[in-house]
Amino acid sequence: MEAEVAIVGAGAAGGILALELARRGIRVVVLESGPRHDFARRPEYVRRYVRGESPWATPLPGLDRYTVGGPVPYQLGGRRARGVGGSTLHWEGHALRLHANDFRLKSLYGIADDWPISYQDLDGYYAEAERMLGVAGVADEPWAAPRSAPFPLPPFSFSYSDGLFTRACQPLGIALHHLPQARNSVAYAGRPQCRACGTCQVCPTGAKASVDLTHVPQAEATGYAQVVTEATVLRLELDRSGGVSAAVYAKPDKVQHRLNARVFVLAGGAVENARLLLLSASREFPGGLANRSGLVGKFFMSHPSIDLTGRARENVYPYRIGFSTAMSRQFAIERDRATHGAFLLEFLNSAGPTPERIAGASGQWGEALRTRVREEFGHWLGIRVYAEQLPDRINTISLNANVRDYFGSPAPHIHYIVGKYERKALDDAKEVAQKILMAMGLTDVRSTGLSFAAHQIGTHRMGTDPGTSVVDVALKAHDVPNLYLVGSGCFVTASASPPTLTIAALAVRAAEHIAARLRPASRGDSTAHPAA
Amino acid sequence: MTLTRRSLILGVAAALGFNPSGVLRSPGGRAHAAATASAQLAAEPAAAALSRSQLEDLVAFAEVLVGDGPLSPVEREYLVDHIERRTTQGGGYYLELYRTTAGLLDSLAGARFSSLDLAQRGALITRHRLFSSAVRPEENLGPFPKKAREVRTRAVPDLIGGYYASPAGWAVVGYGAFPGKCGDLARYTSPER
Repeated sequence: MEAEVAIVGAGAAGGILALELARRGIRVVVLESGPRHDFARRPEYVRRYVRGESPWATPLPGLDRYTVGGPVPYQLGGRRARGVGGSTLHWEGHALRLHANDFRLKSLYGIADDWPISYQDLDGYYAEAERMLGVAGVADEPWAAPRSAPFPLPPFSFSYSDGLFTRACQPLGIALHHLPQARNSVAYAGRPQCRACGTCQVCPTGAKASVDLTHVPQAEATGYAQVVTEATVLRLELDRSGGVSAAVYAKPDKVQHRLNARVFVLAGGAVENARLLLLSASREFPGGLANRSGLVGKFFMSHPSIDLTGRARENVYPYRIGFSTAMSRQFAIERDRATHGAFLLEFLNSAGPTPERIAGASGQWGEALRTRVREEFGHWLGIRVYAEQLPDRINTISLNANVRDYFGSPAPHIHYIVGKYERKALDDAKEVAQKILMAMGLTDVRSTGLSFAAHQIGTHRMGTDPGTSVVDVALKAHDVPNLYLVGSGCFVTASASPPTLTIAALAVRAAEHIAARLRPASRGDSTAHPAA
Repeated sequence: MTLTRRSLILGVAAALGFNPSGVLRSPGGRAHAAATASAQLAAEPAAAALSRSQLEDLVAFAEVLVGDGPLSPVEREYLVDHIERRTTQGGGYYLELYRTTAGLLDSLAGARFSSLDLAQRGALITRHRLFSSAVRPEENLGPFPKKAREVRTRAVPDLIGGYYASPAGWAVVGYGAFPGKCGDLARYTSPER
């Protein structure tokens, strides 16, 4: 099999890249490890999700095997999805741009590192990503960096409980604003308006953007893109010139195949991209492909998170919508981040126990049980906080040769800590959230233990110096002339905001570079841009 | 014995004194949707599972546990659906548990448990504390202690959970739309009517 561009992974980065290249007439083959999830099966997936099952679970036994080490076990289970669409299949759809300051932590605060690109460099790509995904929002965030284009869709209204939060926050000097959503507040791009189904991790209507709906079919429709599903790439092979010549992959029958291409793009998550580079060690790259810096797999990051909840006297009507509509980035921007870590406040529209949980915990039966459920339901409000995690070389993805996956490849091993900086930020966040909940007159205010967002970041960071980074500003590997590494693995720092919109913007930008390289005359222009 | 889901539902409804045809002809959104689903499933053979009488006993048991009176046919269907799903998944664990449960109920009743009226069922459950999943260490569990423990600690919470996770459970708190059932997008912006 041959392609001009071979893309590994059909998730946010790979799906977008495939469309961006295919619409320019570049022949693309995407190798996707997971299956194609038929949209017609979404109702069945919703039923499974409501029952607590994971419809996106990998069908091949052991394919998602991994191990953890270090003082904080970062669990991948349920925090990534294989299949056409990747993690956009189950993401929450929160589509925030990073703030301009997020790109300049070293310059502004003397911590971590600066990105080699700025917010201004990405602004146009953010706008394009928002247009393609269909982001609903309004520019009401006082701290947002300037935008060159408005949100393509109107915002989702604030919820009933957002109003309660707003009234409590105003006297405290805390401003709420709309949370930008990659879901349809109105019908858009052939997809319907959101119908508040409450199961956003499995959107049954397609109102939530996921690249299996927004990009991959459009890429295939050009006739220039082919997606091979259940094709797990085992390693990349080099030619004599030092470039990648083939991706060796296997289907569930374990028979190996090769895909040759002029350009290769790794578009998996931060864990699998790093793992595949390490699995592709060779005589030229004994420490792993594109790893002369020794930084492949290093600087792994996520967003440490906690929830704070409290009990209201009156009913606050939770569980009527599956996503949050209000947030505050006040504490992610407006503070001295040298000493005070950034955190984001998300005001939850659903907190507290469901009728099932109340019934299970009540110890009652019959009429008393029914009364208990009726009286106890709907009284909890919650705030979720996400803290920025700084890059730390000790947080690493490596290979565990003692644990093998379905194909016999060493599993990824995650060594992870959460440092003092992040823990202090979480303490600060807890204090702020407690103040808000107390101001609302809530009782029984409590916090959950440390958790993590389903965001895997870092592991092949971007930079201009091949000694201190893995990819350049175009996301091309410093050490390999025809290899690009896209996705959140190339982030230099994590910000406190979710990464997906930035993954999308960077993918659009990388596609432009690759297209210009393969079609110098076209300079990445659009010849047949399909509707978003 | 091969049963279809439709025949099970009809059988349970008939045993509990309802017009079976009404179960699948109830007007209204949820009932209609349930009827449609049932009709679609009618041709599908159920996996080797509980007998009709066992299923009737379990629904009759759950009816006492979860409600404050007779359940509607649609509510019963949710319970049948839950039990059927449990017994066709989980590697036989729930099939065994629910066979044990039905057997214990019949033994304690000295008759088909489902043949008792609601008050008689409530009295039996109260007498044997079959409503409580909390079992004290020294507690006298009656003539079938091992089975009683299993039923109280496993089957009771599962039946209660199955009911309150269903649309019937959400209806108890006044919700006609809930996670998994789409509705009006504007609803979340104001108090529930």
